[in-house]
Amino acid sequence: MKHKPIILALSTALAGAMFSGPTLATESNRPPLGLPPVPIPADNPQTPEKIALGDKLYHDTRFSADGKVSCATCHAPEKAFTDNLPVSKGFQGLTGTRNAPTVINAAYMKSQFWDGREPDLEGQAKQPPINPVEGGLPNHEPILEIIRNDRDYRKQFRKVFGTSPEHITEDHVAKAIAAFERTVIAGNSPFDRYQYGGEENALTDSQKRGLALFRVKARCASCHTLEHTQALFTDSKFHNIGIGFKAIAGREPEIAEKFLRMKHQQADEKKALEFIDKAVLSDKEISELGRFVITEDFSDVGAFKTPTLRNVALTFPYMHDGSLQTLEDVVDFYNNGGRVNPDDPVTPFLSGGIKPLNLTEQEKADLVAFLESLTSPEIAKQAAQAKQAGIHQSASTAGGNTP
Amino acid sequence: MKKQRAQSTILKILSLGTAMSLTCAVWADEFTQEDLQRWNQEFMAAVKTGDKLFHGGLGNANTVSCDQCHPNGANTHPETYPKFQQQLGKVVTIGEMINWCIQNPLEGKPLALDDPKMVALQAYIYWERRNVPLQPGKH
Amino acid sequence: MKKLNRRQFIQRSGAFVAAASLPVSLVEIAFGKDHPQNFTFGFISDSHITHIKGKEFVRNWDQGLKRAVAEANLMDPKPDFIVYGGDLAQLGKPEEIDHALDMLSGLRAPVKYVMGEHDYYVDLGAHWRKRLGPDHYSFDHKGVHFIVLNSILTYKDWMHKNWKTGMDRMKQMARLDNPNGSPFMVGEEQRRWMKKDLAGVAHDTPVVVLSHSPLQKIYKGWNFWTEDAEKIHALLKPYKKATVLYGHVHQIQYNQIDNISFHSVMATAWPWPYPASYAQGVSHIPKLTVPMNRADPFFERDATGWQFINLHSGKVDLNYVLWENNKNRVVRFDPDKGHPVDTEYQDPAKRIPPQEHY
Repeated sequence: MKHKPIILALSTALAGAMFSGPTLATESNRPPLGLPPVPIPADNPQTPEKIALGDKLYHDTRFSADGKVSCATCHAPEKAFTDNLPVSKGFQGLTGTRNAPTVINAAYMKSQFWDGREPDLEGQAKQPPINPVEGGLPNHEPILEIIRNDRDYRKQFRKVFGTSPEHITEDHVAKAIAAFERTVIAGNSPFDRYQYGGEENALTDSQKRGLALFRVKARCASCHTLEHTQALFTDSKFHNIGIGFKAIAGREPEIAEKFLRMKHQQADEKKALEFIDKAVLSDKEISELGRFVITEDFSDVGAFKTPTLRNVALTFPYMHDGSLQTLEDVVDFYNNGGRVNPDDPVTPFLSGGIKPLNLTEQEKADLVAFLESLTSPEIAKQAAQAKQAGIHQSASTAGGNTP
Repeated sequence: MKKQRAQSTILKILSLGTAMSLTCAVWADEFTQEDLQRWNQEFMAAVKTGDKLFHGGLGNANTVSCDQCHPNGANTHPETYPKFQQQLGKVVTIGEMINWCIQNPLEGKPLALDDPKMVALQAYIYWERRNVPLQPGKH
Repeated sequence: MKKLNRRQFIQRSGAFVAAASLPVSLVEIAFGKDHPQNFTFGFISDSHITHIKGKEFVRNWDQGLKRAVAEANLMDPKPDFIVYGGDLAQLGKPEEIDHALDMLSGLRAPVKYVMGEHDYYVDLGAHWRKRLGPDHYSFDHKGVHFIVLNSILTYKDWMHKNWKTGMDRMKQMARLDNPNGSPFMVGEEQRRWMKKDLAGVAHDTPVVVLSHSPLQKIYKGWNFWTEDAEKIHALLKPYKKATVLYGHVHQIQYNQIDNISFHSVMATAWPWPYPASYAQGVSHIPKLTVPMNRADPFFERDATGWQFINLHSGKVDLNYVLWENNKNRVVRFDPDKGHPVDTEYQDPAKRIPPQEHY
């Protein structure tokens, strides 16, 4: 546990430096260059105290079965709010089936999780602590017990929500965490300065060529959307791009049937949703059904949500199963028309947006260069500082795309 | 003395010019019915070329032709350009979208925006869409 | 930002919605498990498999058919049979027909085939009939009488003009907006056959006609047309429960003419614009029809798909399984109104922007 205080202090200090309180306390704030205003729900307005409380809850490892796992474990501020692992390691080092998405700009998404099974940040925050391979808790009670018995938390919850300790619920906890996450926003990348700031020289020639490819030949812009005055780089929709289908190839009917019977055997809708939440992280085959587990729509088999590409150079490894390590691997995957090797079979459920691209080596390099231009300066700085401080390096992340 | 002579020279030139313009009406900038018909035929020749290109004349290897998805140019909406083209992530003119189609479903090579083939394609597309009011920007 | 609780959010996503995408067993509960003439069949159509050279086919159209087959195989329980609605091939080449049949062989239910013009005009159906048998026939299933027509024939003097090659004739018919085309028809010979076939069918037996052309007169310029449509309607007039299912148009259409319900099925290959969007043409799209969503061309499977049909009480409940930006649609016969309705969008107030075509 020697490193823990450093991480906490560093990230809090950096958080303070980057996301200094007053400027993010109200909705009417100007968002970073290239981004629209952050959507704030009417029933969870931002206040400095709520954000600070959320930040604290986000980092609190007591909210797990072994006292070692917090949100920051898998969504670490110094690792661009992810963990740079293919699939996350939770309680007792247990792994699930999916890669941890970055929290940066997650506030703009129209749903949360790779399969969109929660509508918002508040909903998302409640799941990991009680998932067997993440926080490992049986329910939210242990969290609420800790909070009710902690003098500082009691004071903060009373100040923020006006609740007495016995009336604190997981919804309050979730709201505070969501409020903090709504400040984890970053734009103003070299791409933004070029495209929206009018700085001709913010991108290199290679990156400019990459931007042109992004729009037409590389076929990125329809899902990783960019627009005339802003760019979210995600359509928040679900597409099967061919990742991970090998795990269920040819057996989709049997697996879908097995899943549907188990789902419809649950006592009611609520129990069915709880069953899904656990099944998708513990059962690889059910996980690969993707969005289908929610909509039961034939055409959602193997479909996953489009992530944002902002800061993508730092959020390796890539895809819902973390199976692609570098941006070059990703570009090759798309260039091959949704497969790792050009002569692999193609899943019949493949989105109509994916097809072989016939990019030259130069074009591939230009495209990667462009993707690297989507890193926000403060995120790049934080990652570099963390690297310098000797935090985090693990074998699987050595040699990643950190600038 | 010099001034008077200059003035009279100017007057002479002016009157000569007026006389010429009165007698030489054909030098005035008026086009005729014949001009209009001829120029229209020039345009329709481009429409005819565009029609052929549109109906399988682009020579792309995969044999897909524009008319397969756009019979009679339907659903191309030339009257809505320039517009924000969601697929390209920016505001474009119709030529850029035609090139997108050539490169994507047709898997062919894009045309220069002033290539006579590009112009012919647009002539055909606009001709099939004649009399539809302009609605620039409409999705 | 409208706040939805998790249950509302999931419901809006499409799950827990009755009938539309649930397995058939739950549909039976809705409509009565023991009702006679109650069964489900799948329908895949218009794959337009196109041969380039050697073993190379247009990838786009291959993908559409493969996806329809893979998804149709997800149906649980399996459908009783699957109809293929015509236009296996683009130019009727044996390579194309064979490659399409190869991909369809993956289906986990028996298939009934309907002839399309793209299968027919290069050799007047010779290879198709060699692989698949007669191009018009009938069969009975669970008390419903099915008639399969070859409804893409045309005037004999056009068919037998002095074409240089069969491919010349095929290419003329392949072009939808061809000013030198010729209208589709069923023709006298088949009408005589159909009359004889129906002679033994009681008037309260549900009849379903499977046809490629619409058996209506919708837009002649694009051959969304059957020249002898009225004569076919006359043959079907005595039947209280008559339905026509047709391919060819690559878009959602539905209609009611007297006692006959008409439903189009979607293509797996590509969508077509609605005829009204051709500014220089005059067309008569059925007024009832709520159009499909306008396709985003980036997604090559947008506004394409397949369908499954529940026959219940002898009338059709058509479930369109659509891809990409088109949500699934259900068009069902409404006994009170006496015509098909879209279960979600029929009310004009419920229309959404993507359904605007212009």
